[in-house]
Amino acid sequence: MLTDALEHLVRGIVDHPDDVTVRDKQLRRGSILEVRVHPEDLGKVIGRGGRTATAIRTVIGALAGKNGARVDFVDVDRRR
Amino acid sequence: MSDDTSTGEETAAQPETLSRTERLEQEGDIAADYLEELLDIADLDGDLDMDVEGDRAAVSIVGADLSQLVGRNGEVLEALQELTRLAVYRETGERSRLMLDISGYRAARREALEKLAAETAAMVKESGEPVALDPMSPFERKVVHDAIAEAGLKSESEGVEPRRHVVVLPA
Repeated sequence: MLTDALEHLVRGIVDHPDDVTVRDKQLRRGSILEVRVHPEDLGKVIGRGGRTATAIRTVIGALAGKNGARVDFVDVDRRR
Repeated sequence: MSDDTSTGEETAAQPETLSRTERLEQEGDIAADYLEELLDIADLDGDLDMDVEGDRAAVSIVGADLSQLVGRNGEVLEALQELTRLAVYRETGERSRLMLDISGYRAARREALEKLAAETAAMVKESGEPVALDPMSPFERKVVHDAIAEAGLKSESEGVEPRRHVVVLPA
């Protein structure tokens, strides 16, 4: 559910919604939701002073409940 | 007269820009689509209500338990409003000042703040001394500034976020 919610929130605000993918990466210390966007959209999802990224994290954190969720933004050019 | 043709042309021309109200209604529709799908994904029940209040589109979500979408001091609500405005901007290319409310949080908050402002204004009028209020969100400060102006006094915002707060000044 969190992955879908995050994908929807991000797709709605970028210029290249089809390039948005969210991956739930399982790490030893909990999971991290990795959002990949078109390079031109990275600035958009981060926002001025990180404002948009903070808003996305706040909403996802609220939906995640007490366990919380970590959200990371990268552009599609970065190697996996 | 030859000028008469202009009238005909004007009526025939398609209105290129929507009226103000139509634009705000369109903002509400875009916002509702964005929010409705989020509720769907999160499996939350909520009814959406769209309106135009003054010069802004207003969307409110009412549901059984949406307190997690309001958050402590409305911080989740503010975040969701921010994202919704961006979603509207993406579609229209125009910055949106849309107001989002969830479970009447803003409405209740507005009422409490107006009461606080009226009490503070009375205090400042009596003492002639400025009074600083607690830090508030931009929405909350706006409500207080408006209420203070209504009471015939002036107020300013001081400090930086998240400690930015209203100071009520004596006349």
